[in-house]
Amino acid sequence: MKIKNITILSGYNKKKEKEIIEKIEILEGQKIGIVGHTGSGKSQLLYDIEKLAYGETKTKRKILINGKKADKILKTDPSIKIIGYLTQHMNFMTDTSVYEFLKTHIITRGKHKSKEETKKIIEKVIDEANKITGEEIKKETNLLILSGGQSRALMVADLAYVSESPIILIDEIENAGIKIKQALTLLIKKGKIIFLVTHDPMLALDTDKRFVMKNGGINNVIHTSIREKGIANYFSWINDYILDIRENIRDGKKVDELRLICTPVGEKK
Amino acid sequence: MKIVIFGGTPGSGKTSIIKFIIQELKDLKIHYVKFDVLSTDDDLLIKQKFGVSTENKISGEVCPDHYAALEIPKIIEKHKDKDLIIIETAGLCLRCSPYVNEGLAVNVLNILAGKPSGYGPLLTDADVIIVSKGDLISQAEREIFRSKILEVNKNGLIIDGNGLTGEGAIDVSERIKKIPEVKKTLTLKNSMPTAICGYCYGNKILDSKETLNRYNRGKELKARVPNLNCGKCGFKSCNEFIRAVLDKKINEDRCPYIKK
Repeated sequence: MKIKNITILSGYNKKKEKEIIEKIEILEGQKIGIVGHTGSGKSQLLYDIEKLAYGETKTKRKILINGKKADKILKTDPSIKIIGYLTQHMNFMTDTSVYEFLKTHIITRGKHKSKEETKKIIEKVIDEANKITGEEIKKETNLLILSGGQSRALMVADLAYVSESPIILIDEIENAGIKIKQALTLLIKKGKIIFLVTHDPMLALDTDKRFVMKNGGINNVIHTSIREKGIANYFSWINDYILDIRENIRDGKKVDELRLICTPVGEKK
Repeated sequence: MKIVIFGGTPGSGKTSIIKFIIQELKDLKIHYVKFDVLSTDDDLLIKQKFGVSTENKISGEVCPDHYAALEIPKIIEKHKDKDLIIIETAGLCLRCSPYVNEGLAVNVLNILAGKPSGYGPLLTDADVIIVSKGDLISQAEREIFRSKILEVNKNGLIIDGNGLTGEGAIDVSERIKKIPEVKKTLTLKNSMPTAICGYCYGNKILDSKETLNRYNRGKELKARVPNLNCGKCGFKSCNEFIRAVLDKKINEDRCPYIKK
């Protein structure tokens, strides 16, 4: 399903006051940050979007897809679910290999056409995941022994190439062990809309706009300035730098040089 | 009056989710019953928090699901004036699950607890399956789990639930609003397993001769007690009474109706 835009029609905050901004429109390819203190309503907003709420949730918000109320089938049939969700917890519980797991997911999603094609998708997912994490995932690796970074990377790549959900919700994903910015770029490249709950300045400032939550309602919408985006870029560079050093340490190398100059993402090494 | 029966393994989040559902349905006159084996205070906590009428049923020596089946008609009889009776079973055995053919059978299924194919009628006979603890694993695995549920229960309505945030409670509540009122005879969706050995009469010695002996004596007593579970002997059920007699804890005269 092609999603051109999402509209959030205002609901009520915890004090039963109408949210200030009546209508917020988000376009294809946009990244939206959701910021605010604990209990300010960030997760509830993600929940409303995930449910494609139409006035039935606590907040009474309405979520429109392409300007219309979402079809009921979009809410109930998981194989056409348009919302992908990356949560804080991404543990696995199935005792199987990465390859078999991805295969099962491809079949579940109704995407299994031929053996060769499925194999190609699986290889693509593992390949892309390896670009995001510094710790190599092999197709025969058991799911249960994947590190946190590997799991997150695998799930991002899975969202991009298996689920292909056009809307992605990310709830305070940890950036330890993954190049989070590259991960988000991978998702955005595929024309997705991303909602991102985060306290991380690198991520919050690398959005198109951010919702400031307060008392359960959307209290403000800040359009990210060019300056903020630049700062985010710098933070992202620092993050990748730390990731590199981390891998060097793992390789048994010594760290004797401190890199200070900010090189643009993608040109280093 | 409507009836909803919740089943699910211990720790799956039944009580937490029920609390959110009661909150959603606060306009209804609700009676909540909690079945458990040893002890519970969930009924008191729910009464305190929501002011609805509650009670607990402790099964003790009897299988909690059989006990629930024995008690459900009495509960219904006593609470005819209520809009909705919510029954939470102890959820120990995947085999029995005392769902009835009317109302709604809800299974709270802990996604971390194993493969859907390993569950019996508890899952396969449920009308609604609330998948709990899904927030702890990846969405891909949730989707796979869901398709595995559909392999064993095609008609169930699958809802993602969360006992901490109340996710899913609205959907279950909407479903509850749509079920019809209870009519006359309730039937179990699934018959319970045969219980006809000496162990059912409280034998503890692992020996076939011993258990046969116990069974014969138990059967003999069973034919003489009224099987009404009237409670006059001080036990919840005639079976419990029989066990106590066989254990020589009491004399059979304790039953006022026993045939000599």
